Amino acid sequence: MSVSNLLENWAEFRHTHPVDDVPHDPYKWAMSIDLDACTGCNACSVACYAENNLPVVGKEKFLHGQSMHWMRIERYWDEDGRDFPDQGAQFLPMMCQQCEAAPCETVCPVGATNHTPDGLNSQIYNRCVGSRYCSANCPFKVRYFNWYDYPTTDNVWPAEMSQQLNPDVTVRGKGVMEKCTFCVQRLTSAKNTAKNEGRIVHDGEVQTACQQACPPGAISFGNLVDADSKVFKQWKAQHVEIAEFEQAKDRGEQDNKLRGYRILEELRSYPSVMYLERVRETAV
Amino acid sequence: MHRFLRLSILLISLFAASSFAADATQAVKMTEDSLGPLVEQPIEFPHFRHAGDVNKEHPEKGGMQIDCMYCHTFARRSAVAGIPPLQKCIGCHQSIESVRETPRIKKLFEYWEGSKDGKIAAKSPIPWKKVHDLPDFVRFNHERHIKRFVFQQNRPVQEACGYCHGDVKTMTVARRSKTLSMGFCVDCHKKDHLVSAEGGTAIGNQAYWYGFKKPVVNASAPLTAKGPNDCWQCHK
Repeated sequence: MSVSNLLENWAEFRHTHPVDDVPHDPYKWAMSIDLDACTGCNACSVACYAENNLPVVGKEKFLHGQSMHWMRIERYWDEDGRDFPDQGAQFLPMMCQQCEAAPCETVCPVGATNHTPDGLNSQIYNRCVGSRYCSANCPFKVRYFNWYDYPTTDNVWPAEMSQQLNPDVTVRGKGVMEKCTFCVQRLTSAKNTAKNEGRIVHDGEVQTACQQACPPGAISFGNLVDADSKVFKQWKAQHVEIAEFEQAKDRGEQDNKLRGYRILEELRSYPSVMYLERVRETAV
Repeated sequence: MHRFLRLSILLISLFAASSFAADATQAVKMTEDSLGPLVEQPIEFPHFRHAGDVNKEHPEKGGMQIDCMYCHTFARRSAVAGIPPLQKCIGCHQSIESVRETPRIKKLFEYWEGSKDGKIAAKSPIPWKKVHDLPDFVRFNHERHIKRFVFQQNRPVQEACGYCHGDVKTMTVARRSKTLSMGFCVDCHKKDHLVSAEGGTAIGNQAYWYGFKKPVVNASAPLTAKGPNDCWQCHK
């Protein structure tokens, strides 16, 4: 890429959240997670490990904060004086929020993380030099750094187990950053099938690994441009707008019956994941 | 004295380091034009005899003009083009008596019937080696390119395959003849390609989905679109 090309296409290279002249079309991948349905069972996290070739780092490295769980369940314990078995908790599945104006993108010194036209925040492993600036700038702390060459030094996948690796996903080496991709390998394959048949991807045709594994079906995933998709309907029902940084729920509209919100919205990173507030009283 | 010693140590270690580096680069033999590794195949497969043009003066030197996708049949329906199974080779060659006793075909039948020294079991697949091997972080889809250029634009198969594989119909064993680097791919993806040509399948407003950008509709000129150009289309 020549410098003149870079300068001419700067607006595209650093494309932020959708504006009227460059709307997302035909795809804008988005998610909605119903915290009322979530039981904190961690099936999504396990599915993610299997789908995306994530290394299991072990207890010691986990305590050092070097775990690689792209999808993690955050626990918020109830502080009502009860001890562990009886203590209630709130669960929050947390993965890359695929922000429209992602703070990680603007700080990458080599442009390894970029916005894609279908509204994802791409991470290109072979371009990454491991400065870890993106992780420092991520408000959700969902970027994970390869401190070790897991396939070799830790032998995470011994000889026979290397057969279980997903061939559609790179096995990352030492010194690169990685994060949730919204299962981009599944999206690409679905888009290719759709293109071959001369149509766009139908709702429900493509599932992320976490969505597929979720027992109560708390996770919905789809195309926010498609008005027939479940995600579009959920976002619409909750009056959550992708290009707003304050939603109807925050303004206390509709007699506080709305449940939809996005995390750390005031930072104006415009995330692509909507959470539905928990309404039931007990944890399980 | 010390300075002299220091200098000599530096020179010796530099020499050792450079000779070590030279050794390391010699590990993989490259083709003459340095486009890829020199691959030795178990059978020296003559692509020119199968896919090459007919030679009217010397029919024994010419080719059969077989379609690439007769053997590499998965190119039009999956991400990988595929190497034909042994059965496909035998399917034709069991009834071609004229070349049955040539060295390569004898080798081929060793894989089918088993070799006399027992080293090769009957019906064992030929261990072909990969010539056009892309890095692990690249995703390339044959199907999309074949659908786009052969079925939608009605271009000749050998031309469409040749964009990346070169003129395989003149080769014996396939050699890499394009760089297959990122710049090579992007060069083509940033060009305006015709959406559909005369005789090809019409794709209507699907052109939009190639470049993720609405093509400028100009009534006087044919509709063109660019290839997908975001990082995650090819990197995984």
